[in-house]
Amino acid sequence: MSTALETPVRAAGPTHRPRPWAAVFALARFEARELRMNMSFLALAVLYMIWIVWQTTQRQSDFPILQNVDRGTQMMPVLIGLAVMLNVNRAVLRSRRRDTDRHFDVLVVEPWRRTIAHVLSAVPAALFIAVCVTVQFTWAALKPGAVGHGSPAELAVGPLTVLLFGVLGALFGRLFLSILAAPILLVLLLFAMTFAAPPSGNNWVSWLYPVVSETGSDAFPSDLLERPAAWHVLYLVGLALLVALLAVLASGGRSTVVKATVAASLALTLVGAVGQSGGTPAGSTPARERASVTPEKIRKCVEHGRSSYCAFPEWTGRTADWAAVVDRVQKLAGGRAGGERLTVEQRLDARYGLESDTLLPPSTEPGRVTVRTEWGGNRVPEFAVAVASVLVAGDEKAGTEVCDARVVTIMWLALGGEADPMSALSNVRVGDGVSGPALVLSPTEPFSMSAEQTRIVAELLKKPRYDVAGKVKAKWTELTSPETSMARVAELLNVSAEGASDGDACDE
Amino acid sequence: MSDLSSVPSAAPTVSAAGLTLRYGGTAALDDVSVRLGEGVTGLLGPNGAGKTTLLRVLATAVPPDKGAFTVLGNDPGTSAGRQEVRRALGYLPQAPGFHPDFSAFEFVDYVAILKELTDRTARHREVRRVLDAVALSDVRSKRIKKLSGGMRQRVALAAALVGDPGFLVLDEPTVGLDPEQRMRFRELIARAGEGRTVLLSTHQTEDVAMLCHRVIVMVRGRVRFEGTPAELTARAAGRVWSSTERDPGAWAGWRTGTGSFRNVGEPPEGADMVEPTLEDGYLLTLDGESSEVAPA
Repeated sequence: MSTALETPVRAAGPTHRPRPWAAVFALARFEARELRMNMSFLALAVLYMIWIVWQTTQRQSDFPILQNVDRGTQMMPVLIGLAVMLNVNRAVLRSRRRDTDRHFDVLVVEPWRRTIAHVLSAVPAALFIAVCVTVQFTWAALKPGAVGHGSPAELAVGPLTVLLFGVLGALFGRLFLSILAAPILLVLLLFAMTFAAPPSGNNWVSWLYPVVSETGSDAFPSDLLERPAAWHVLYLVGLALLVALLAVLASGGRSTVVKATVAASLALTLVGAVGQSGGTPAGSTPARERASVTPEKIRKCVEHGRSSYCAFPEWTGRTADWAAVVDRVQKLAGGRAGGERLTVEQRLDARYGLESDTLLPPSTEPGRVTVRTEWGGNRVPEFAVAVASVLVAGDEKAGTEVCDARVVTIMWLALGGEADPMSALSNVRVGDGVSGPALVLSPTEPFSMSAEQTRIVAELLKKPRYDVAGKVKAKWTELTSPETSMARVAELLNVSAEGASDGDACDE
Repeated sequence: MSDLSSVPSAAPTVSAAGLTLRYGGTAALDDVSVRLGEGVTGLLGPNGAGKTTLLRVLATAVPPDKGAFTVLGNDPGTSAGRQEVRRALGYLPQAPGFHPDFSAFEFVDYVAILKELTDRTARHREVRRVLDAVALSDVRSKRIKKLSGGMRQRVALAAALVGDPGFLVLDEPTVGLDPEQRMRFRELIARAGEGRTVLLSTHQTEDVAMLCHRVIVMVRGRVRFEGTPAELTARAAGRVWSSTERDPGAWAGWRTGTGSFRNVGEPPEGADMVEPTLEDGYLLTLDGESSEVAPA
């Protein structure tokens, strides 16, 4: 522009000082408020909070295992993330859809700065998730039954996922001018996650997804998880930064600083991706082998009353709860069983990875009872069944093989002391019924219960406990003998013997 | 209304020389040089004359292929200069877009943020001021989709005015407004022209006659006239006459409300001459360049 011009004068003009970054933050606050007031985000946020309250107040959640609780915070924020992504995307496309681009493009805050503002608008949503995750975890950690250790890296995944989805919304908005692009890409992503490479945790591809939740039947001690959580956080931080900067690049911010930061964030992402590429070990590791095969080298044993309780170090605080169940069952038992010394051993099989549902073999040693790492809810009556089996049959292995009339005694001992014995009966049976035949769950192998046994047990559980307890203690020897028939047991316990002559589980 | 042509134009606040911009093989702007001072300058021209292109160049929406311009002393040829121009700019584009789910206040607030008004309290005060100036205080919390067309246009003007810009670019702001709304808008623009430079593109010669102290007529990307409205009107002196039939020699002629024909062009001997208007001067300046200016 070399043409000579007359010297102009300034007639009037804005009196404010130029503060481009302050404008970016002001715009980010404005967009964040728009996001916050969006119905889909609000509805999901409310649902999310309700879920946290519901989930944390469940009976099963009275005994949280903190290294599971932290992972449990990761999946629900994905829903919020989707809402954030779609809303940020809509906000980025708003000026194009509403034809305000022609106006806004001549305003001081350039499109690339506006993109930064859109990216930053997702930060409050991520902080909201961070607060919710913190509340959820702290609430669990403060429960008297809490055991284990949470990981800050695992807790960071939820908020980072929301942030990542938010910046993806901004990038999609800058790359694709259609408002349909983001939902379509989202569907493709979900399809890929569900069918192409489900996030199983032990292959490196699954760790490229934001959330890799791995759950199996047993909670592992925190030192056996071996999840690359910190690397994953590094990967997510790098990826969110990279996506955000690509969105800035796509909207015209092509300064050297931006390009250099893109390179740095790409490097960060790659370092994180390589670091996590090993994934969670799918099988045995030395630590898992040791905990599974020779747990006695790791466990700590404490005495409660006459019995001994051996737990992995993070679970020693829970032995009192186990002892309470043992005492409750033993109080109902007669003969020597009422005063028998038991050894409760916490066991798990960690050799097949976090997601395995391994059935533990029952112990063959007399007086040894298995307890697993999960506790609360149905796990309590299941443990009581194992205790009762050992008291009646002598050892766990024998207990799981009982199919005769002793099943009645085992089940009444296990459940007779429960506050709501009929619910407990339904909870320990596969199928949740209180009539007909069913498998009964225990910490090791299940055993069968015939329809007649179920009927008698249900009838006994409806009677006053002291009434039945007296009969059980008085007739203990006969009730725990494999020779005793169902009809005789019914008679001893003063229960009608409708089909008791042909009703034990050994016949089925 | 006072004779705006007598308002003195100060030294130029906007100065452009040799602006040229081509779209494909068509010259949207062809060596355009203009000088704008304080007050309202009207920009007239038929469709395709390059009015909007000139406004978009001066508003820094598109750079010219050739030529230079400054706004309030800033050269938009440099990145820093362009930002300074934008800081001093208020722009109301042709058929402006809105965010229908925003309230009037939110929309103007949004624009204010994009103009770097970052102090929230001061910004909100400024937004209330401009909404008050365009008489929208009562409906500032209403969503834009619930406002009438005239109200929306005033929201757009408020958005252009927010931040007290020194250079206001208005592209056909009165299109689609009913007469009452147009009159109200003229008042607003006249007030906006006090102490700042306003460039008003319009098809309405009435707007120019009532608002502008200077007028520019563009045809085919070139400036064909630049002067005061009185000077443009004077171009038609002695070239407008009345007759009972349409004069075949007239360049343009139309039946008036009285039943007689008003003819513009080279009058025949003994023609019944009438007082020319700004529109007559404009039509003669176009000199048959636009199909729109040859009424049947």
